[in-house]
Amino acid sequence: MRKTLDFIVEKIIFICGIVSIIFVILIFSFLFKEGLSFFKDFGVLKFIGGHFWYPSSDPASFGVLPLIVGSVFVTIGACAIAVPIGVMTALFISEIVPKGIRDILKSLVELMAAIPSVVIGFIGMITLVPLVKSIFNLPTGLTAFSGSIMLAFMAIPTIVTISEDAIRSVPWQYKQGALALGATKWQTLRRIILKAAMPGIIAAVMLGIGRVIGETMAVMMITGNAAHIPHSIFEPVRTMTATIAAEMGETVRGGMHYKSLFAIGLVLFLITFLINFIADLFLGKNKNT
Amino acid sequence: MVDKIKIENLSCYYNKKCVLESLNLNVVKNEILGVIGPANSGKTTFLRTLNRMNDFDITYSRKGDVYLDGDNIFDIGAESLRRRVGMLFAMPIPLPMSIYDNITYAPKRLGLVTKKADLDNMVESVLRDSSLWDEVKDRLGASAMKMSGGQQQRLCIARVLAINPEVILFDEPCSGLDPISTAKVEELMVELKEKYTIVLVTNNVKQASRVSDRTAFFLMGKLIEVDKTDKLFVSPKEKETEDYITGRFG
Amino acid sequence: MIKLNPKLSQKFSYTLLCCAAILAIAPVILMVFIIIKNGASAISWEFLSSMPKGGMCSGGILPAILGTLSIVSCAIMVTLPVGVCAAIYLNEYAKDNMLTRIIKLAIVNLAGVPSVVYGLFGLGIFVMFLKLGVSIIAGALTLSIMELPVIITTARSSLGSVPYSFREASLSLGVSRWQTIRHVVLPNAIPGILTGAILSIARISGETAPILFTAAAFYVPHLPHSIFDQVMALPYHLYIISTQIPNMPKNIIYGTALVLLMMVLTMSCIAIFARIYFRKRRKW
Repeated sequence: MRKTLDFIVEKIIFICGIVSIIFVILIFSFLFKEGLSFFKDFGVLKFIGGHFWYPSSDPASFGVLPLIVGSVFVTIGACAIAVPIGVMTALFISEIVPKGIRDILKSLVELMAAIPSVVIGFIGMITLVPLVKSIFNLPTGLTAFSGSIMLAFMAIPTIVTISEDAIRSVPWQYKQGALALGATKWQTLRRIILKAAMPGIIAAVMLGIGRVIGETMAVMMITGNAAHIPHSIFEPVRTMTATIAAEMGETVRGGMHYKSLFAIGLVLFLITFLINFIADLFLGKNKNT
Repeated sequence: MVDKIKIENLSCYYNKKCVLESLNLNVVKNEILGVIGPANSGKTTFLRTLNRMNDFDITYSRKGDVYLDGDNIFDIGAESLRRRVGMLFAMPIPLPMSIYDNITYAPKRLGLVTKKADLDNMVESVLRDSSLWDEVKDRLGASAMKMSGGQQQRLCIARVLAINPEVILFDEPCSGLDPISTAKVEELMVELKEKYTIVLVTNNVKQASRVSDRTAFFLMGKLIEVDKTDKLFVSPKEKETEDYITGRFG
Repeated sequence: MIKLNPKLSQKFSYTLLCCAAILAIAPVILMVFIIIKNGASAISWEFLSSMPKGGMCSGGILPAILGTLSIVSCAIMVTLPVGVCAAIYLNEYAKDNMLTRIIKLAIVNLAGVPSVVYGLFGLGIFVMFLKLGVSIIAGALTLSIMELPVIITTARSSLGSVPYSFREASLSLGVSRWQTIRHVVLPNAIPGILTGAILSIARISGETAPILFTAAAFYVPHLPHSIFDQVMALPYHLYIISTQIPNMPKNIIYGTALVLLMMVLTMSCIAIFARIYFRKRRKW
């Protein structure tokens, strides 16, 4: 009786264990199935290389390039802000402040991560967007630049938390050794600890990038959603995620437009898959040292 | 003189590296067999093989057989084997629950005792057997983590007694204890051999000479010598044994 | 090049790092402050407990609150048991082989999939393929898959923090593996698992993209009757009233944002305090 129960429970546990593989395969195959039938009708090259995203005109044009460029603009902008600030904050929290304050700051960062992206988007819309418009004297404040700033706040918690882990997992002997040789705390920090924690920090940055690329609601609310190839980050852009979110509601289920959004989903899936894979490699490297 | 455990040609490996080589040994019923030897001599591996605690280590493999009352221990199932062969670890490991629950934990899970009155009786009797009853009878509900190290180790002994095993394995049971607690545990072992067969692994040579009936000396994964304790300590046959017990190495 | 005095350069750098930390944290505190300041006036019992009126320009947000609560509670009921079992498998049973490595890779990648892609997937499989329609259950299942890797990761680290010696002690008494997990490992890992679960609930309460095409509706004139109903959801409602409806009274938008924010932050705070409490109380 006891034996059978154990046996059944252990089988259930095993099935739950492999459930995540099943979902990854399911997600991929769903996106792939819809995406593939779209590529069959429209062509991969025309999709990836096309300059125009006019899904509802006749004949429709599904050039995803402006959307990719839009995502890249916002992502680069957000990273340019979030990476230095995030890594510096992680250094500050893990190595400079006393333990009591460190715990408070870490909890604060964790709370930051919990703020919903619609709320960030809403706040950006009413505070930052008018500000950007008046400061830079632009026709509209809904630009890639505004999006980058708000998204930076969403990437910072990820970057801080993971870098902080990496910095703190540097063996204390390294630090003691350097300090014993007469290096100042800052020299030790910069030349020894930062170097040793580098793989973990790179992983943190990759995961931060993943978070920004995948972010949907805030970009949809702030970046202006103009599907054209931008010339500077002070122009409105439209990202891949925002396109899916904004247009899925209007499509005919099973039609070309519908399928094209799955094709974008597939592109996004592959990009984030790659980013996470690389991040995971670096995280593994960090653990081995 | 009945053999309780018979070990035939046992070799053990970690990652294909041999740590115990073709061991032949027997443990007599109701004796204390002391196993001594320096670090890495394979004595703990030997002990953990006797109740198959190494099963979970995927780098571990073995050849040869071990018989408990004629049953091959690798055929009777690890769980039923461990019920017959209890084990004490180097550090006392009380489970994070009350003293009472620590003792009733295994009997309850194994379905040995179920009635509340029976459980109470059993707790009292095993605590008396491990000479802990007078110290803890008023605070059976207190957390076992708050006891002293010596008390914790005796609680672990009581916990093993509660499943009523045939053999008890002691893996350096006093290495973390002060001399007074050590003396208590040793006294207890001598009392316990009336009912149980005991294998005691220790790196304290004096301890083996105090409590064990026979002593086996392991070196580099090999059994060098096994004999009556007084014989082995007074006139060892092998040079290595003599060197070790007189303290020339190890 | 000027060579700075090491002491001076240390002082300078520390100031810089401090500024970075302020720059990272202060704006977020400011955001929360702005929402509280402008939203507090909108909050009243009536706002929380009545239906929207006049094209959502007045009245309350009750259906949105209830909708979010029902989606999130369904989601956590699915994802928590599955996630904990998966964590038990990985931490207690899995051997270090190819299958385990693939599972771990799958979890890492599941964690990185953008939320809107989960929305697409949910639309494809639950709404269309399984014909659940746009409903609480479809949204909840989508969110539960999205949250699965997070639950698995936190549950694994809670299980891993239970000392291995406890397992050995239990196993050495002849207790089976599952019984050991059930009666020794799990009771000691539960606080950590629950803390992780609360953080997950907080996170998915604020998610919009996955429920966009799977559960959320622009406006539903009645409260949900069953898990197969479409519902209004708080984050989606905030999106709608702040972007799609012109001339929306500002204090209603702020009020909605405040309710959502407080819901999420309160739960996160509970989780963080619970974690501190349990760490202090830990017996080993």
